[in-house]
Amino acid sequence: MMQTLAQAAYPQAMHDVTLYHYLFVSAGMFVLGLIGFLTRRNMIVMFLCTEMMFQASGLALIAFSRFYLHHTGQAFVIFVLTVAAAEAAMALALVVLLYRKHSSLDGLLFAELRG
Amino acid sequence: MDYLVNPVILYSLVALSGVGVWLTLPRKGFNPQILGGLIAGIAVGGIMLALGLAAGDHAPNLFFYVFAAVALGAGLRMITHPRPVYAALFFILTILASAGMYLLLSAEFMAFALIIVYAGAILITYLFVIMLATQGQTEDEEQAQAEEYDKVAREPGSAVLIGFVLLAMFSTMLGRGMESLPTPDPARVDAVLGMMPLKIERDMKRDGLIEADEKVAGAAGVHMETRTVDVTSPRGGREGVAMPADLHASNVQSVGFVLLGQHPGAIEIAGVILLMAMLGAVVLARKKVEIEDQAKLDAARLMREGGSL
Repeated sequence: MMQTLAQAAYPQAMHDVTLYHYLFVSAGMFVLGLIGFLTRRNMIVMFLCTEMMFQASGLALIAFSRFYLHHTGQAFVIFVLTVAAAEAAMALALVVLLYRKHSSLDGLLFAELRG
Repeated sequence: MDYLVNPVILYSLVALSGVGVWLTLPRKGFNPQILGGLIAGIAVGGIMLALGLAAGDHAPNLFFYVFAAVALGAGLRMITHPRPVYAALFFILTILASAGMYLLLSAEFMAFALIIVYAGAILITYLFVIMLATQGQTEDEEQAQAEEYDKVAREPGSAVLIGFVLLAMFSTMLGRGMESLPTPDPARVDAVLGMMPLKIERDMKRDGLIEADEKVAGAAGVHMETRTVDVTSPRGGREGVAMPADLHASNVQSVGFVLLGQHPGAIEIAGVILLMAMLGAVVLARKKVEIEDQAKLDAARLMREGGSL
């Protein structure tokens, strides 16, 4: 079955054209996250979009880790997850704080934060 | 210079998918979201098809295409859905699809860690905050006013332009093919096996390759270049016993050895980052407890008189 599905079993090297497929999906997810971050005005959805960009970088790291048969890429994704979790905690605390002040999640309301 | 995908076709398809995403973004009045989604889907599907045709026998398997379609489609719906709760749910779908791709890439540990940490913990936190910070459904008029900012995209044209110029730049690298990628050595996967004499001993005993009273002579007794081990036993011991060919370190074992063997400091720093984030979140989100002035005066008088609260 694995032969018809044309993906090498694990210890064998993966062809670089297969890698490009994963990298393209990763780039597409990153760009979607970027567009979402720029166009949405809801603070929570904006932070969700940054999570999507983290996700895209994680996919690229895993794809390269598979291509080079090297596990450091996978170990690095754990740190990406850590930073994403820390960012989510801080960002959501800030959002709750600003929501208490304005009763709105509109990102444009927070233009007052400029220094 | 051999192109995987003809650059003219590649760039026109990227531009077409950009137009599709632009149509999909929410706006007032005429809102052709389904049409935009179809255009973006067809364009990305065309790029995938061209890449797949160029790959021939090396094309990724069918599951990859399913997961990629789900991940990108749910991602598009996430950035266009007017209700934040649904956006978060569509993001969970994206996460699940990327966990599927991690499985295809033989990263089993990270796939399940992703589902547990991301879909299970981070996204649930997001859902809680969305529910906490969204007005109730009772006043329809007020609701419509409050969610105005969710219904209209802010500067969709320039955002899509920036995003898809970036995607075109990424796909230049992909379309052209990076010629200098070094070919990895499959033997390197098992290099970490050299640090696991106990696992080798257990597996070889199970297969009957070494006797019950024989032991692998520690990490120094494992020779990964020749895939042989030295064993010791009360009867003397042997050298150069061949390992079975299908003996590999599992994904969890390899990731664990890389993580704790090569980056122990980074783990400590990650722990400190999480601790600081937790402290910061508590400090930011706590509520000041208001005590009335009279209550403060009463308490102060009580303490001055030597009593206790």
